[in-house]
Amino acid sequence: MAMKPEEVLRVIQAARGNAICIPTMTTGPAWRDIAPDDLSAGCVGFMGGASSLGLGLALARPERRVIVFDGDGSLLMQLGSLATIAGSRARNLVHLLFKNGVYHTSGSQEIPGGLTVDFVTMARGAGYAMALAIGELDEFKRKLPQLLTAAGPIFVELHTTLADQTPMTARGGSPFDQQMERLRGKLLAAK
Amino acid sequence: MPESIPASLIIDTLKDLFREARAAREAEGWGPSPHEHLGWILSVPDTHQKTVLAALDKEQTIRVLTCATEDEACTIAAGLHAGGEPVVLMIQHAGLYASVNTLRGVAMDGKVPVFYMIGLLQREKDKDPKESRHSMVRYCEPLLDTFGVPHARLEGPNDVHLIAEYYRLSRQRRGPTAVLVGLETS
Repeated sequence: MAMKPEEVLRVIQAARGNAICIPTMTTGPAWRDIAPDDLSAGCVGFMGGASSLGLGLALARPERRVIVFDGDGSLLMQLGSLATIAGSRARNLVHLLFKNGVYHTSGSQEIPGGLTVDFVTMARGAGYAMALAIGELDEFKRKLPQLLTAAGPIFVELHTTLADQTPMTARGGSPFDQQMERLRGKLLAAK
Repeated sequence: MPESIPASLIIDTLKDLFREARAAREAEGWGPSPHEHLGWILSVPDTHQKTVLAALDKEQTIRVLTCATEDEACTIAAGLHAGGEPVVLMIQHAGLYASVNTLRGVAMDGKVPVFYMIGLLQREKDKDPKESRHSMVRYCEPLLDTFGVPHARLEGPNDVHLIAEYYRLSRQRRGPTAVLVGLETS
């Protein structure tokens, strides 16, 4: 079984509290609808960078949870970030991987290795404090409270279907610089 | 003729820079930092600046995070900046070439003040970098020019003031700036 990405995101939005969220690629359009004008910045145009942006925020603001919505094709672009994140020992970083086995945005070409790539083993081997896979929405709902409180970095491979929209089919949203400026402003105002 | 810069001089300069950045941060309204250290170095280890990195290993007031790639370093810097933290990147020219899309997509398009210290490995002491026989030395400044990234050379101890100047410039213009470390640090 696989989860609908939009359903996963709705569950996160309901439980996140004051966490910063970093969507990328196909989670971007859905997140804009589910959590408009929230504490987040979406990554498009530098594929693979979401986890690093999340890491920087997590290191800067250790009092907040930072949740990254990564993609499997995206993570493969900067796979070394697993080791960098683990080495940083960022306790407040939750790295969620929306695994669908394809480059959905560019036309659903299969990623290298397709669905057989075991990212949990990679994250565990890199040194994440916790790494697990979840394929059912009920299980995700049950485990999310722990994911939002346990010491990280935490990695979760989420087995998902394709999102309804991609950045190509649902263009829009603010440019990255405006999102970053708004996020910084909100973090500053929250001090 | 360029001269080598002592690691201790660069580290003292970075400490002063981070103290200034912390003061600016507090004036901006961030309040006390959640961290004990003054600032962050994001490093993809550079042969040219290895004495600085070795000395930083013993330095408690600056936190160094070693990154697997320069792409990560640039994007982590964006996150640190958004969270109110001062940060400097230490990389080498080959890493700049490897991370050009992130320079464009994050630092430039994101209008993020990312400040780079870039080592010019294999730069010949008696040649202008633009006349180097090594392409990785020769193309560094033209690449930065192509992308409109302001840069300056650190050609000796008298140039270390450029570190703070180009860091401030990155904040003023809300974008990337760089200083190029001409000779291996001592």
